[in-house]
Amino acid sequence: MRNLDPERAKWIRVRIGILSGIMALGLGGLVSGAYRVQVEDGAQWKETAENQRMRRLHVEPKRGTIHDRNGSPLAVTVEVPSLSVDVAEMIRGVEGQEAQASVLKDASIRLATALTLDLNETYAKLLTKKRFIWLKRRISGDEAQAIRDMSDPKKNPHPVRGLNLEGEGHRYYPSRELLGPVLGFVAPDGLGKDGLELYLDEELKGRIQDVRGLRDRTGRLIFSEGKTDSDALAGHDVTLTIDGGIQHVVEQELDAAQRTYETKGASLVVVDPNTGEILALASTPGYNPNDYGASEVDARRDRVVTDRFEPGSVMKVFTLATALSAGVLKPTEPIFCEHGTFQLGNVTIHDTHLNDWLTPTQVLAKSSNIGALKIALRLGEPQLYAGFRKFGFGETTGLPLPGEATGVLRPKGRPWFEVETANASFGQGISVTTVQLAMALSAIANGGRLYEPILVKKMQDARGNIIRDGVPKARRDVISAQVAHTITEMLTAVVEDGGTGVEAAVPGFRVAGKTATAQKADPATGKYSEDKYTASFIGFVPADKPRLVIAVVLDEPMIGRYGGDLAGPVFRRVAEASLRYLGVTPNSTAPRLSQVTRENDPADATLALLKPQAVAAMPAPPSVFGPPAANAVKVPDAAGLAARDAVRQVTAAGLVPEIDGTGRLVRQWPLPGTRVPKGSAVRLVFEPAS
Amino acid sequence: MRIANIKLHKPQILAPLDAQPTRNAEMTGVDPVLAAVLVGLIGFGVVMVYSASAVQATTQYHDAQYFLKKQASYAVVSLIALFAISRIDYHRLYKLTYPFLVGVGGLLLACIVGLGHRGGGATRWISLGPVHIQPAEMAKLALVSWLAYSLAKKAEKVKTFTVGFLPHLLVAGVFMLLCMKQPDFGSAVVLLLLTFTMLFVAGAKVGYILGASLLGAVFAVFAVMSKSYRYARYLAWLNMDEHRQDLAYQPFQSVMSFGAGGAWGTGLGRGLQTLYLPEAHNDFIAAIIGEELGFVGVLCLSATFLLLVVRGVRTALRAPDDYGSYLAFGISTMFGVQALLNIAVALAILPTKGLTLPFISFGGSSLIMNATAAGVLLSISRQGPVDARMETAVTPPAPRVEPTEKKGEKAPAPSDLDPDAFGEPALDDASSELA
Repeated sequence: MRNLDPERAKWIRVRIGILSGIMALGLGGLVSGAYRVQVEDGAQWKETAENQRMRRLHVEPKRGTIHDRNGSPLAVTVEVPSLSVDVAEMIRGVEGQEAQASVLKDASIRLATALTLDLNETYAKLLTKKRFIWLKRRISGDEAQAIRDMSDPKKNPHPVRGLNLEGEGHRYYPSRELLGPVLGFVAPDGLGKDGLELYLDEELKGRIQDVRGLRDRTGRLIFSEGKTDSDALAGHDVTLTIDGGIQHVVEQELDAAQRTYETKGASLVVVDPNTGEILALASTPGYNPNDYGASEVDARRDRVVTDRFEPGSVMKVFTLATALSAGVLKPTEPIFCEHGTFQLGNVTIHDTHLNDWLTPTQVLAKSSNIGALKIALRLGEPQLYAGFRKFGFGETTGLPLPGEATGVLRPKGRPWFEVETANASFGQGISVTTVQLAMALSAIANGGRLYEPILVKKMQDARGNIIRDGVPKARRDVISAQVAHTITEMLTAVVEDGGTGVEAAVPGFRVAGKTATAQKADPATGKYSEDKYTASFIGFVPADKPRLVIAVVLDEPMIGRYGGDLAGPVFRRVAEASLRYLGVTPNSTAPRLSQVTRENDPADATLALLKPQAVAAMPAPPSVFGPPAANAVKVPDAAGLAARDAVRQVTAAGLVPEIDGTGRLVRQWPLPGTRVPKGSAVRLVFEPAS
Repeated sequence: MRIANIKLHKPQILAPLDAQPTRNAEMTGVDPVLAAVLVGLIGFGVVMVYSASAVQATTQYHDAQYFLKKQASYAVVSLIALFAISRIDYHRLYKLTYPFLVGVGGLLLACIVGLGHRGGGATRWISLGPVHIQPAEMAKLALVSWLAYSLAKKAEKVKTFTVGFLPHLLVAGVFMLLCMKQPDFGSAVVLLLLTFTMLFVAGAKVGYILGASLLGAVFAVFAVMSKSYRYARYLAWLNMDEHRQDLAYQPFQSVMSFGAGGAWGTGLGRGLQTLYLPEAHNDFIAAIIGEELGFVGVLCLSATFLLLVVRGVRTALRAPDDYGSYLAFGISTMFGVQALLNIAVALAILPTKGLTLPFISFGGSSLIMNATAAGVLLSISRQGPVDARMETAVTPPAPRVEPTEKKGEKAPAPSDLDPDAFGEPALDDASSELA
């Protein structure tokens, strides 16, 4: 400024000084403002910022998959992309109502076209200008790609901003109803409800605490810090001991039984007695966890573990085993059965079959209550109770499912009176669960060892490390191998001619088992009901080298009542299909005479059993009712009979009745006398007598 | 010689505006402190842009360094521009004043008549092939250089209304209107402030400036009220807590970023608010600095800008002529005002405007134009300190003008002079010369 008049230069300097001073004041104001925000209120803001990050954490890590033992998925979480919009982001920087409206209009046209949405609806949604709107949930892969292209500035010169694709975990059950009550379902909030999803929720859902602060303003996970970390957070994969193929057969059979006998419910367990692994576990009515909202709460219950019932005659097996083990009974010793009527105190006990002297084998085969109670009274209350406890009754089996019942042995915690001991010996006045029966029978089948049931075969994290392995866990040795063998031999008589369980016989295999037809206590009267029964059959096959223990319990069948007639065929068909499925061929032991007589041509049976080896590879046998029958039977004439009797007659012939209507039989198909393969369906049409 | 001609018209100017470059200008270095501050700010900007943009770059471009690479290349261009322009005698730029002014005016006009590139709803960019330029950034420098030129030329007449005041206000008004049309309210405000400060410094009557300020204020209120979204945003800013999820989202998140940083900050690259603050690498980069480097970082940043402005004002005070002086002061003010407004907006002391933080915010136009302006400032600083230069430059014609006085003075050799020590006496000499 040398060139200036000094007076003017001086004033310019002064003015520059004034302006610099004003700017300095401004800077001072800024610094004091920053001091207030950062130093004085810093802690508070920090907390707000942290809350903001934490509040945004609503997306769960990937839930673990549930497989069956062969690796087929039973429950999977699929990342389904859902599209949300941040409209504020979409129009950020666009100033003016009309300009914003045109941007939104343009965006809604593009979005509506890409997602096949209604244009006006989309536009109306965007006009709300909210920071978070779901535009379309669960969109397809193609749609997601279109959205990605639309918002990618590299691919699109005019990208639409504020679009956020977020993977929403959606639990999907590829096999639909299969194993439904066991698996349970997952609520939309990501919490497991019912079944394994509930029981193993902690393991399946993964960890969420480590991802805080790593989400952006739309809730999207930004810093995944490599794939490994998301794996570390993901839930564990669970492999069950369940065999999808056997489970499929079991459910179809149980369903058929439910429809045929009009049962209130039914449950069935298939166990490998040598390890305690559960191969199949089913209860009806079931439901489809994909659409759990449509099901009754009642249907979601896993009856195998939650429902306790009076088991009836199947308990005689354990009464006799305890007695043999205690040495109070010789295997061949005859028991006097009082002609079918026995007075104990003021209570009269009846047998259905009137007998005088029965061997222990016959007590089981004829299912004599009087025989069983006499043996029990010989044992005494403490020993019988201790014997039942040793078999695992009155305690949970340890199955990883919610709500497992223990069952009740001593009703009020006090020892049984004599009558109660007598009742308990044939399964009255006590309650058990289906899985308890299956595990207890497994102890007999495997030579005396009570295992805990294994449902989870393997659990591994997302990186493949094995977290838990389902190794067989023996609870205790219940009986000696000798006693187990003896009982097994006795039980084979049940399914032989003259036994109550002939319907359970599996062609080509020796079957050991026991039937039960238990009257249900009526809660209204406190007495045993006249028409409500629990029909059951427990058994294992092959008897010599057991591979499968199967427990079938049918609750309140409307048609038929006897365990042998109703549960027996279910056992037979499940056993047949499962053995075929497992590739177990009839062993070298020659078929017993009883079996030979029941079959027209043993060679056919062998052929039939060899043929399905190819079928065994398939996940499910093609037919529900039609395991290839070795022999043809005549359709009985049931005309004019009441439903119950007609069904009895048809099932006695080895056929499966299909019921239509009520009343007396008016039509049947195939016609009486027709020869059809054993196991075929016979359609019975009833009409009320007018 | 032309010098003589001009001297005839404006005898009070010793070194005329279109003076030839002084011959020994090359020998004097630029203000080292100023140069260091500028290079430092540009480098710091690149670092902060990376820290603030990595998240958005990853989600949008699947390349965390997307913005870093761009900003780094802009920084290289800027440093070249800074260096090159600082070596040009600023007197040479004088001839470019009108072409630059008219050219920028044309670009601004082109922007709003539809040749502009739409981005975020506003047409602030013009595409020249692959390059998008932002004329509003150029407008600031164009207006400052024109004002410096015009105010210096008009000298004493600045005090008059019709010659000294009105034309400047009109040109500035046209520029501001063009900016408002884009719409770019922030740039318009900066242009207005720059015009007033330069008019004030040059000696325009304070009454006129106050009157114009009043008019400007009325106009600003009208502008805010006429556009409902601006008014809504203003109301949201007044009541930030209520609108933290919608209209005041950005300023709220910005203040939260500052606060979350506390006194010492979360550490460079450790800020988490980038996840929530849109355009964090752009207009709100100060907030990320506040979060990652804390109050200490904000303090250092403020101090650096203060140093930049102080050295710029020093350059203005020591410039050899009033053109240089005005230019240097205008450019310094341009940096200072933008920095102040930007940080004030980030702290929500002022409502959101959309201004960059000079040298630091992401953006090629802003960075390169600021570097160009800084180059001019350095060029002025190169000439500032030595009165001896003026002696050599002016001496040849001097004898012809006032031979008697010049003869009596014994000019020391330029190399012997300590610029700082002799700065003031030299001025006194010049004054006595004139007296």
